[in-house]
Amino acid sequence: MRILRIVEGTSVDGPGLRTSIYFAGCRHACPGCHNQQSWDFAGGQDYTVEDVMKIVRYNGFPVTFSGGDPMYQAEAILPLARQLHAEGFGIWCYTGFTLDELLADGDENQRAVLKLLDVLVDGPFVQSLRDTDLRFRGSSNQRLIDVRTPDFKEWAD
Amino acid sequence: MIQVVVKRDGRVVGYNEEKIKSAVRKAMLTTELGEDESLIHKIAVRVSARGSERMTVEEIQDMVELELMDSPRKEVAKRYIAYRDQRNIARKAKTRDMFHEIIEAKNNDITRENANMNTDSPAGMMMKFASETTKPFVDDYLLTPEARDAVRNNYLHIHDKDYYPTKSLTCVQHPLDNILSYGFIAGHGESRPAKRIETASTIACISLETAQNEMHGGQAIPAFDFYLAPFVRTTFKEEVKHIEALTGEDLSDIKEREFKDYETRSLEGLEGHDRLCQHAMNRTVSRVHQAMEAFIHNMNTIHSRGGNQVVFSSINYGTDTSAEGRCIIRELLNSTYEGVGNGATAIFPIQIWKKKRGVSYLPEDPNYDLYRLACKVTARRFFPNFVNLDATFNQHEKWRADDPKRYLYEVATMGCRTRVFENRYGEKTSIGRGNLSFSTINLPRLALECRSLQDRDERIALFFTKLDNVLEITARQLNDRFNFQKTALAKQFPLLMSKLWNGGSTLNPEDTIEPVINQGTLGIGFIGLAECLIALVGKHHGESEEAQALGLKIVSRMRSRVNEFCERYQHNFSVLATPAEGLSGKFTAKDRKSFGLVPGVTDKIYYTNSNHVPVYYHCSPRHKAEVEAPYHPLTGGGHIFYVEIDGDATHNPEAISAIVDLMDEYNIGYGSVNHNRNRCMHCGYEDASAELHECPKCGSRAIDRLQRITGYLVGTTDRWNNAKLAELNDRIVHE
Repeated sequence: MRILRIVEGTSVDGPGLRTSIYFAGCRHACPGCHNQQSWDFAGGQDYTVEDVMKIVRYNGFPVTFSGGDPMYQAEAILPLARQLHAEGFGIWCYTGFTLDELLADGDENQRAVLKLLDVLVDGPFVQSLRDTDLRFRGSSNQRLIDVRTPDFKEWAD
Repeated sequence: MIQVVVKRDGRVVGYNEEKIKSAVRKAMLTTELGEDESLIHKIAVRVSARGSERMTVEEIQDMVELELMDSPRKEVAKRYIAYRDQRNIARKAKTRDMFHEIIEAKNNDITRENANMNTDSPAGMMMKFASETTKPFVDDYLLTPEARDAVRNNYLHIHDKDYYPTKSLTCVQHPLDNILSYGFIAGHGESRPAKRIETASTIACISLETAQNEMHGGQAIPAFDFYLAPFVRTTFKEEVKHIEALTGEDLSDIKEREFKDYETRSLEGLEGHDRLCQHAMNRTVSRVHQAMEAFIHNMNTIHSRGGNQVVFSSINYGTDTSAEGRCIIRELLNSTYEGVGNGATAIFPIQIWKKKRGVSYLPEDPNYDLYRLACKVTARRFFPNFVNLDATFNQHEKWRADDPKRYLYEVATMGCRTRVFENRYGEKTSIGRGNLSFSTINLPRLALECRSLQDRDERIALFFTKLDNVLEITARQLNDRFNFQKTALAKQFPLLMSKLWNGGSTLNPEDTIEPVINQGTLGIGFIGLAECLIALVGKHHGESEEAQALGLKIVSRMRSRVNEFCERYQHNFSVLATPAEGLSGKFTAKDRKSFGLVPGVTDKIYYTNSNHVPVYYHCSPRHKAEVEAPYHPLTGGGHIFYVEIDGDATHNPEAISAIVDLMDEYNIGYGSVNHNRNRCMHCGYEDASAELHECPKCGSRAIDRLQRITGYLVGTTDRWNNAKLAELNDRIVHE
């Protein structure tokens, strides 16, 4: 999988300190995106599942997938998500797709990744809805969805 | 016949006639007629012969003046007198320049030594004049030549040198129960024992304020919750009494009721005594809340030390699990969360959460709910910090969960990090004790002096020899200061010695404090371990395991030497990871003059705080914990673990608890979390963005940036000295 950067111990991508993995590549092209260089699928470096697991295990924090948009690399990410899940690391995932889009039109890898997550932060960034007071997201259309709940409740801590 | 001369600084030297000759000659050379050797000789001989055996410089000059006036060369007398005046003025010029700098309220490093102090106020200036003129006195008359040289040559910094002549001690943890139950006398007022929460919180404040004037360091309350809890109950009973007076009913049953918690609830649906009880409870909670708010407000507004400084106050709490203690903690936290005035973050007191497994940390603990609240408050207000009672070195064998006075065996810390716990002369406790004085060793300089040696092992061996030498000098210097301090009379520190200091109450006012001063500690501090390691092995301990091993070896050596000093001098010596505020740039500036710009060592204008990983170095919180933790058991005089987190912590109190978890996991003694907090001075808008210059809500450019400096919060960076400002700009978040 192609990874731009792994941040060990951030406080901005979900509750607690987390190991955030920024996956390369995105095609949503949201106007006002603060990180356009992350759109490039050839950006960053190749990592194996074990490379990432080493970093995650050392830090011991739960994990956040971000990007780019990790859902474009669902096939490559799936083995990592499985391994994280197996070792008990909670996963949050940021995506520009909405949950409904993933459920209706997503491929099997995307839906498989979805099943391994705790929380999905969904939807594109919409500049007109930007609000810096929001918790863990950039614009108010984005939702924190607890995908472990059968009816996809909003996440609450 | 003059034999010896007493110089202006008091030294006595042999008489030298040539000095008179040369002075008269200089005066003559400025006149038209020029010099007259025979007259010069005549005057010198007459003065030498007529003078008494022992004379001061001024007396001799007066004689020369008279001789010149009696001579035919009156114009030389005039020049000679003018020259004397000029020299007198020149001698005072240094003082004059320094006075001018203070008077003009310039922002220089003299007036910004201490970020909590307003040196622009009249009282602040007065204190600065005193402070700056005292330091040379200490150098000349109180330090040994050895200590003076160590300071001059930049190996050693003696903290609070301006207070040296006063014999004051540094700090104390207040046994507030003494004062609350027996009352005290301060100034012109006698206080009776407290009966209700408002009085108790006011007395707590007065105790801190009064003691601040008797000492040169911080003032702390070691068990704020335990001390104030009884007054929650008395306040509740008072409320019940009011209802009794109103209804004429006997409500003794309510007064005796036991509660799990004091909580505010609506009276709706409640009847009879339950309703009355709940009403009394609601009133009690509200009064406790008000009292906590007043306490915080007082600690931020009442200036002690002649009106220029608020008290360096700290309070420790979190382990009282009684309903009353929990009420104190909850309302204190709620009040802190709300902020003072228009919701501003309170700078004081520094609050410290006592984290203890089984009490105030784990989900099943009785005070877990309050711990969560504490994390939420810290996320917004920087406080409380966290002291880890579970760290191996912070435990006490006598601690029992069912002991009502168990707080005696709980470590408490000064907010800045000063830690007093172990005791060679009595019970191991923090309470009623404090630091006496501390001095800090400049580790980078010692390392820089060894750089010319090519062989690594030789270089390191030489470094250790030098370190040992400076440690010896430091121990002697602290011992000398101790011997000076112990001659203070109890009456010089009236509140401290009558109510606060261990054993102080056994002294009469005219007694010296010698019998009880051994309760205090002498701190041997260090600065710049990171730069020291770079100078020795090319890398700091955050980036190299080899450097880390050497770093631990250095601090372990300090620790084992300090243990020897305890035996040799019979004091409570301890190693201190120095909070170096005024110091952070002084050492570096001087070392750069001696060694030039050495990459990684003198190329910034500050040295890294104590054993910390450099602030400019990118590393994860876990790595920082892993590297810094092993220094905590070695530094019994105090230590602090900081993590700078990215983003707005108010959204993420779990990030705070994740850091406390790291402290728990790595056996870290004391720690706190730094984050950005911008606040618009006009509309009160707050956020955590890195570089906020304009308020996004109201457009104002008056943005107050809150940051932490050596453990204390400072509202505005205007009062930071240059070195600390540079360090702040280099601080990067740990991610």
